[in-house]
Amino acid sequence: MTHADFEAQVDAYLDGELAPADARALEAHLSQCVECARFRDRRLALRAAIKAQLPTLTAPDVLRQRIVHKRRFNVGWRSLAIAASLAVVAVGGWQLGFQSGAGEMLGDAVLTSHIRSLMPGHLTDVQSSDQHTVKPWFNGKLDYSPPVFDFADRGYPLLGGRLEYIDGRSVAALVYGRRQHMINVLLWPSDRGTAGPSAKTRQGYHVLHWTTRDYTYWVVSDLGLAELQEFNGLLQQAR
Amino acid sequence: MEFAAVVLPHLDAAYTLARYLTRNEADAQDIVQDASLRALKYFDGFRGTTASDGRAWFLTIVRNAVYTWGQRQGSEGRVTEFNEELHSDDVTRDPAATVDLRAALDALPLEFREVIVLRELQGLSYKEISDVTGVPVGTVMSRLSRARKRLQEALS
Repeated sequence: MTHADFEAQVDAYLDGELAPADARALEAHLSQCVECARFRDRRLALRAAIKAQLPTLTAPDVLRQRIVHKRRFNVGWRSLAIAASLAVVAVGGWQLGFQSGAGEMLGDAVLTSHIRSLMPGHLTDVQSSDQHTVKPWFNGKLDYSPPVFDFADRGYPLLGGRLEYIDGRSVAALVYGRRQHMINVLLWPSDRGTAGPSAKTRQGYHVLHWTTRDYTYWVVSDLGLAELQEFNGLLQQAR
Repeated sequence: MEFAAVVLPHLDAAYTLARYLTRNEADAQDIVQDASLRALKYFDGFRGTTASDGRAWFLTIVRNAVYTWGQRQGSEGRVTEFNEELHSDDVTRDPAATVDLRAALDALPLEFREVIVLRELQGLSYKEISDVTGVPVGTVMSRLSRARKRLQEALS
């Protein structure tokens, strides 16, 4: 290696970006070469001067406030208003369709949960496409360990999971994507016997509901019904 | 991760970058605000898991917002691509213009200023700087080296 090569490496060395073997070679060279050592010392002096003269800055409070404010009440406000109006119409429609019974109340809660999840920052608590990351994330947060599968190879990638509070208990919500659409899967243990699947459509949202021997599932999305049923089929087979 | 948890902890870093790149207080504030709105808009695309992922992601958006702003400014904006050769080491300068480091930094081309701020002030790795600026690691290294040489000359 030439002297110029060593000099070129000094920056990477001081930045901690040099491979260990190269770093050792450079150190050996620096111990012998006055010129390179002087170069290094000038760089160290520069670093100290930068520290002294070029401070990191603190965002002004007014800017911080503007961003927090804007986020909640400007961008957030519009989607919130749209989502809220959808929620009222959708929930109202749901109740018209099903006059009584626990299932209707749950349908309301599930649909509201889905709409709320679409607001900025609400979609996932754990963001991962890895079922082996999402499933353990629920440990200690739920009294059951929900089955989690990724269907990325079928065009329905797992995006993450979050906790929801439905029917007086914390439940697992799994989030899947399909192009620009989000699919929420809410599931919790059930001992009420198998049922479904049944499909309902309200204000552009499809809600599928079915119960296995172990779990009751709610699947909500604005995805087309045919695709959502395809996804549902994957979910049922994956068990 | 929530949007707030990803972006809000890095507002100072974002502001520092924008302030040094624009050299202007009001523009820096506008850019960081604009970048935070863009970050919110594109948050679904964020796939990171750690705080430094969030920092690099948000700083990328800030940096791009600066370049967009620069194009609107016209004077600062570069119509042509940054020419690595033109900014090689042997450019003559008026020594009086570089009395202190801040002035020397402000006098550097945007492409040099950003690597100095990202590396020296914010401690990003070469790989992270490469991600934020969209140039190869080798280019990051050579820009850093030449930028430091210029600053060095201001000191001596």
